[in-house]
Amino acid sequence: MRGKRLYGAVGLLAAAAAIGVLVVASTATARTKAGCGTVTLNEQAWTGSTANTYVAKYVLEHYLGCSVKVTDIAEIPVYQAMAQGKVDAVLEDWQHVAQYKQFAQKQHSVVLEGSNGLTGHIGWFIPRYLLKKYPEFKTWQGLKGHEKVFSSPEAPDGMFLGGDPSYEQKDTQLIQALGLNLKHVTVGAETAEVARISQLIAQKKPVILYWWTPEFHNATFDLVEVKLPPRFKGCQDDGTVKAPLKDFRCAYSSYPLEKVFSSKFVKSGSPAVAVLKRFKWPSNSDQNTVSEWIAGDHMDPQKAAEKYVKSHMSVVNKWLGK
Amino acid sequence: MATTAASTIAAAPAAAVDHRPWWRSRATLVGVVIAAMVVCHLTMSRTQTWPGSLTWHSLTQYLDNIQNWLSAESDKANPNIVYRVIHGISNALDALVRWLYHLLSSWLRWPATTLLGGLLAWRFGGRRAGAIMVASFASFAALGLWDESMQTLALMLVAVALSLLAGVPLGIWMGRSERFERLITPVLDAAQIIPAFAYLMPVVIFFSVGPAAAVITTMIYSVPPAVRITALGIRSVPANSVEAANALGATPRQVLWKVQLPLARRLLLLSVNQTILFALSMVVIAGLINTEGGLGAPVTNGLNSNPALAILAGAAIVVMAIGLDRVTEAIALRTDPTQRRLDRTDGQREQLLTVAALGVVAGACVLGHVFSAGSAWSRWTAQDWLLARVQSVLDYVQKPSTFLFRDITNPLGNFLVAHLLQPLDTFLAQTPWFVTLVALTAIAFILSGIRPAATTAAMFALIGVVGEWQDAMDTFSQVLVATAIAVILGIVLGVLAAESAWVSRVTRPVNDVLQTLPQLVYVIPFVYVFPISYVPGLIASVLYAFPVVVRLVERGVRDVAPPAVEAAESFGATRLQLLLKVKIPLARDAIMLGINQGIIMVLAVVVIAGLVGSGALGYAVAAGLQRGEFGIGVVASIAILAMGIALDRVTRGNRNAGKGGHT
Repeated sequence: MRGKRLYGAVGLLAAAAAIGVLVVASTATARTKAGCGTVTLNEQAWTGSTANTYVAKYVLEHYLGCSVKVTDIAEIPVYQAMAQGKVDAVLEDWQHVAQYKQFAQKQHSVVLEGSNGLTGHIGWFIPRYLLKKYPEFKTWQGLKGHEKVFSSPEAPDGMFLGGDPSYEQKDTQLIQALGLNLKHVTVGAETAEVARISQLIAQKKPVILYWWTPEFHNATFDLVEVKLPPRFKGCQDDGTVKAPLKDFRCAYSSYPLEKVFSSKFVKSGSPAVAVLKRFKWPSNSDQNTVSEWIAGDHMDPQKAAEKYVKSHMSVVNKWLGK
Repeated sequence: MATTAASTIAAAPAAAVDHRPWWRSRATLVGVVIAAMVVCHLTMSRTQTWPGSLTWHSLTQYLDNIQNWLSAESDKANPNIVYRVIHGISNALDALVRWLYHLLSSWLRWPATTLLGGLLAWRFGGRRAGAIMVASFASFAALGLWDESMQTLALMLVAVALSLLAGVPLGIWMGRSERFERLITPVLDAAQIIPAFAYLMPVVIFFSVGPAAAVITTMIYSVPPAVRITALGIRSVPANSVEAANALGATPRQVLWKVQLPLARRLLLLSVNQTILFALSMVVIAGLINTEGGLGAPVTNGLNSNPALAILAGAAIVVMAIGLDRVTEAIALRTDPTQRRLDRTDGQREQLLTVAALGVVAGACVLGHVFSAGSAWSRWTAQDWLLARVQSVLDYVQKPSTFLFRDITNPLGNFLVAHLLQPLDTFLAQTPWFVTLVALTAIAFILSGIRPAATTAAMFALIGVVGEWQDAMDTFSQVLVATAIAVILGIVLGVLAAESAWVSRVTRPVNDVLQTLPQLVYVIPFVYVFPISYVPGLIASVLYAFPVVVRLVERGVRDVAPPAVEAAESFGATRLQLLLKVKIPLARDAIMLGINQGIIMVLAVVVIAGLVGSGALGYAVAAGLQRGEFGIGVVASIAILAMGIALDRVTRGNRNAGKGGHT
């Protein structure tokens, strides 16, 4: 008898304790819901994106009390992750049009939130020191007949350094359409491209390459853009599209760098949504500064973000809606 | 260069038996075919590339549509049963990895985790294993990457365990059944050769992003070596042992458990070792689709913003691989029934030890919580000091005015490109496609017979049909050069390592490092030192491929049955004769598997090579993932796979022909 009563008492106590825990737990979750909760931002594999992510992280954590998780998922799989709500936002996307179509327009599982304040621009670039000897390289016409200047072991007649496989490019077609005798050589990922160019520039050698802004190396590389034929209606930038050669005979377009959010995040009612919607760099050079701290000076991204936020409160206040 | 590759392939068995006169020898015949190719190359028009009318142009679009459809199906509110089952598996794997990570980091916390690892290793593997384990944990702390390491460790423990669970039984089956071997070999080839970049998106569609997707991606790559080496182990058991057991009336199950598995023990151990190393070589790529990227994240991001940190993360991956490998090895050796001599007091002592160890861990756990030790070690690390050291090396490497660059690597790289890679590429790409196709088929026929020749013809025709002929010739020329170098290096070092314990002691850790250090980490410095597009990729391929050759050749030469060696010794054979006439011919299966794996490993690095300037197919696969052009990535992968299957059948056909020849 006694034993049974004891068991009963223990059982009751346990039940009470369990209920107590549940109550505490539920109030705890309720409290985080009213606040900001966890926001997951994806950092892409380039330094500018690290700058975006950590500046946003600092603002959300210090001014809204969110806890921010940073993931490092690759550019395309991250769309699937956003569609499933496992990642909340990407703060810099370089026009993945096919993904916009599939996920934003068809499935409505991600939302395009407009520019992050930066303008992406692709073009043909040469180092400035080359202009001294060949001032005519300012435009593409000047390159004609001088292709041998860009000679290299893999392309004795003249080499054009192509871009990272993840970027939109049409240089093979463009070179052909312009009638230049340059060989398109792929140098690989951005890191490999940076390695190769910095070696060439350090030796003051001639080089012509596919390059873009914003990119924080621009400050040290000191590159000049080569003027290409003007754009026209129906002008193509994507070399994987099958189109007649003449459609590629124009400069690359410039476009805003998009912010992309998960639809689940937009509907979540988190105060972070409004702030990230307003998140916008005042100019390309702002992001470059932060990137330079991170990649040039090897500053910890969190500290670089703090340094930027503390010295640009007016910008941050705009994001916060103050 | 094609000749070199071809003659290496032919040279290994040539040592065995070759009664033909020199003018009918394989090397000569291959030479004749290549000479004919050169004549065609010089005399015929240079623009005859694969015709558009024989190309399946809409294939990429078709593949893109499949992917979009899969993705839309997967995200529906009520997915069909297949997806529900897969989502269930995915959630279970996610939960398992996360649970293990929480166990290591927030429940046990760093003091108890280190003690648990160390004591477990000590209890089952001996003092040395325990010390290795503790040293590994200490390095994670010293590198300042404790938390990332625990994420990766949790993931890898699950991935390796599941790979062995799946791979060893399949390998046993493959070793015992020829029919199953024929069935599964193409699957294994595909799993090892198709670049992970091509299937990351489908994996994500089915398994979402997170630990489950990372485990699956890792397993696709780490199961095949477990299967292959286990099968080799089962098959290498001497037939007379099996026959003796059969004669004594053993059932098939008894033969397996009492004869084949114990006798294949050493190769089984090698398969565990290779599974661990293959799994850890996937940390970075699997990190691309994992919400908890572990050590992969600092590598991916560090490459752009802090290369020194990427190198430290790479070092942590290597430490983890070597630690896990040495500890499992110690445990396996200790539990070896032939070496186990325990009496009762030993047993009691071990039980006592287990209890004491668990007590210590529990105590450490409680103390950790009481004194609120963090889940990760965060107090003192050598990270800043190490970063500075690594950075100074990188700074040296990046200066074009140094002796290393100006006088050694730059001229060497230029020479390699101008006189070897570039001419070979031009030769293969500009010879009319039908000449190349016929010549490659003829070479396959000379080297290994009619069936491999048919396969070669079909595979290269497939490459043309999917529209990758031009890029494939470019990649093929680089693959041939890389394979030739890797195989020569691998066989030489493997034989030396088998003959000398000293060489073996040096090569083993070097192999471990090269197999697990993410290529992206060490290949970028090579871009600075050899700033010529093809060369860094070539170096990465050779460095990744030759260790496997070394390992398999070494194991094979070492495991040659002692009676054969003793017999030759009693006839007064010299050491060199013993090696050339007895050991190498008898180790031929293992050597051929080594060559075959070497080719596969070179192909596995094609994408990495593409990312550092080798262009062609590897670049297309990378673009497929990074630009969301699924179709383009898959088509390029098909071409890589087709090339791999052709090369594999040519090298393997040879082995079978040899077998028929002298047994």
